Amino acid sequence: MLGSYRVLDLTDHRGLLCGQMLADLGADVIQVEPPDGSAARRLGPFAGDVRHPERSLFWWSYARGKRGLTLDLAQPRGRDLLLRLVSRADFVIESGRPGDLAALGLAHDTLAATNPRVVTVSISAFGQDGPKASWAESDIMLLAAGGPLFLQGDDDRAPVRLPVPQAYLHASAEAAVAALVAHHERERSGRGQHVDVSAQQAIALATQSYILCEAVGAPQVRRSAGGLKHGALTLRMLFPAKDGFVAVTFLFGSAIGQFSRRLMHWIHAEGGCDLATRDKDWLAYTELLVSGREPLAEFERVKEVVAEFTRARTKAELLAAAVERDLLIAPVATIDELVASQQLHARDYWRTIPHPALGRDVRYPGPFAKFGRTPIGSTRRAPAVGEHTRELLQGELGLDDRTIAQLARDGVV
Amino acid sequence: MSTPALSDVKVLDFMWVMAGPAATRVLADYGATVVRVESTRRIDTARTLAPYRAGVLGPENSGCFQNLNTGKRMVTLDPTRETGREVVLDLVRWADVVTESFAPGTMRRWGLDYETLRAVKPDVVMLSTSLMGQTGPLATFAGYGNLAAAISGFSNLGGWPDRPPAGPFSAYTDYVSPRFIAASILAALDHRRRTGEGQAIDLSQAEASLHFLAPAILDYTVNGRVAGRIGNRDPDHAPHGVYPAAGTDRWVAIAVTTDAEWRALRDAMDRPDLAANATLEGAAGRCAQADALDEAVAGWTASRDAHDVEAILQSRGVPAHVVQDSHDLVRDPQLLHRRHFVQLRHPTDGTSPVEGSRFVLSRTPAEIGGSVPTFGRDNEDVLRSILGYDDDRITALVAAGALE
Repeated sequence: MLGSYRVLDLTDHRGLLCGQMLADLGADVIQVEPPDGSAARRLGPFAGDVRHPERSLFWWSYARGKRGLTLDLAQPRGRDLLLRLVSRADFVIESGRPGDLAALGLAHDTLAATNPRVVTVSISAFGQDGPKASWAESDIMLLAAGGPLFLQGDDDRAPVRLPVPQAYLHASAEAAVAALVAHHERERSGRGQHVDVSAQQAIALATQSYILCEAVGAPQVRRSAGGLKHGALTLRMLFPAKDGFVAVTFLFGSAIGQFSRRLMHWIHAEGGCDLATRDKDWLAYTELLVSGREPLAEFERVKEVVAEFTRARTKAELLAAAVERDLLIAPVATIDELVASQQLHARDYWRTIPHPALGRDVRYPGPFAKFGRTPIGSTRRAPAVGEHTRELLQGELGLDDRTIAQLARDGVV
Repeated sequence: MSTPALSDVKVLDFMWVMAGPAATRVLADYGATVVRVESTRRIDTARTLAPYRAGVLGPENSGCFQNLNTGKRMVTLDPTRETGREVVLDLVRWADVVTESFAPGTMRRWGLDYETLRAVKPDVVMLSTSLMGQTGPLATFAGYGNLAAAISGFSNLGGWPDRPPAGPFSAYTDYVSPRFIAASILAALDHRRRTGEGQAIDLSQAEASLHFLAPAILDYTVNGRVAGRIGNRDPDHAPHGVYPAAGTDRWVAIAVTTDAEWRALRDAMDRPDLAANATLEGAAGRCAQADALDEAVAGWTASRDAHDVEAILQSRGVPAHVVQDSHDLVRDPQLLHRRHFVQLRHPTDGTSPVEGSRFVLSRTPAEIGGSVPTFGRDNEDVLRSILGYDDDRITALVAAGALE
């Protein structure tokens, strides 16, 4: 789809997904790394648990689909080579600290002087400017800064993050959208621009608008193990199953309440509750709880009725019933169960990529969308350090073997 | 004022609840005309979600719905009536993109599947998004993002090793997948501009979101390891976690990711005994003693104000941040500097706050404002100025119940 566009990806672990999304959409993405390899190669897990820059599964995950070029941008010749590549690039993506690129003489204005059409995308913790722009940052502190962390975890312990870092993935995916918005405008105006993405603002989307509680004059909500607490009212979304856990959208109101009503009818039909419990007004139940007409203790009892019911059934039984009876129940899948999913198999989701150095093929997450006319095609494994340096310097810049050898000796590539 | 980036993009948007509307919200921010169709009879679930303005429940009061639909043209329309369906087909002729997020098969039942749309608009781009995709044994398994978060492996990973899962907050895939939805639309529009070809797009929110778990998935497909819950531990760094501060439910997230940051933290805590301990030099040694380090850090933070801890550590270059609740967030100087909160006009009651854009375009920034997206707010305008309907036609539609 985007096959006619070239992306220069200067990002480290903070921005790799942006270029990968563009690569999946067909763009030619060149991952530029320092001569000793990207910092992302130091992130685990590692293939065979061997810490090695060519075995980082983080790198494999997010440098997939790109060609690799090493370049020392701190050296004048490295910078010049980059600018020559910029002259024929459509996008440049970077994730350095604000000001890093300018310090190398590679700020957007400089790139635009070489190529007025270029769209430069900057991904950073807090954005390029503002009082926190230069703050020390990490995944967990950005989740704290953007709001979702407060809402995650058990109510009697500290808030908790996911073990797979998420903050910069949100920023990087947001950056791919931003790049394509700027691209659309460029195709009309002929001019590129600078795109400034804040991870803090991107991750705030994961608060489900609860970031606005105080601003709209609503009470603050608190975390409760996947559900949430509105004052004394605790909504529960995760329940036990015979062989693990299930998610149940046990909520109320005109839309979701219909599902809860069907669930309670099923529970009643199986002998799990009495008629009075089954026939509560599930559409108006939130209002009943908020107004106090339904005691919170009774709601606690009802949630326990649901938990007793799900605890006696397997995840597979509950999912089958959800499909058959139109209920809001899903298994809490472990990673091995996810990879074995019949749904993903039926949709031919997984992609298999050969890894010759490993001596076998590796299964990866597949296309993020199925395009009727321009399907997301096959993909290449993440590049080894400098794997395509020669190919790119020769093919794109017309450098000869001797020049390339000299650049290598001088540590430029 | 520059011409907005997407000023020439026309979207007919049937997406509802959260994932879809979050995607078209971004298009509207940058100037696309998004005609958002909803029903007054089958109310958008997002209208039944908190936080509510002044804490008062009601479909016109949901801060969640308003935040997701800012900047769109709000139309009420009943596509199940033939008169309503005719209006839809007129809007399809106008649109570049048609989006929908109903249970797979719904648009077909209404006679509005891709083949039908294509017959009236050959180059239409139609994006359908659902939890599990348009095909496969679970295609009709409809629901919300909390279910997709569970079935795609996120929920099991969040929480403590000695406790049941706590997951990420709520409907997590609804906050991951919008980016893939919006990027897919924009890429398909680029293809259409260059080739004249439209197409149908099938986006499974579970499938798209799995890219946010890729390293854990590869850990299984390469190493055979099934990831589990590890609290706030980091395999490579310690101390790393969320530590208590003075007050009720106040916390600070702290991550030591280098030896320099460790020394800075140690000095800030004024713990020469830790400085004297050579086994704590180097990440491996610290990870091996993570429990003791967590205790030491928590002992230092627990009696201090969360903002003070954040300030002390940031001044020394240690990644630290208050775990912000909505009281902190609305005052966060960085978010205020970035104009993250924007006020919409409210028809009866002052203003209503929503979030701004999550990125800045230097030359064609987002333009966010207008009034709260209420039921049918733009019916007249859309029917008259976009479709050119006259009074008689509109009166007839109202009488037929097509605008409900």
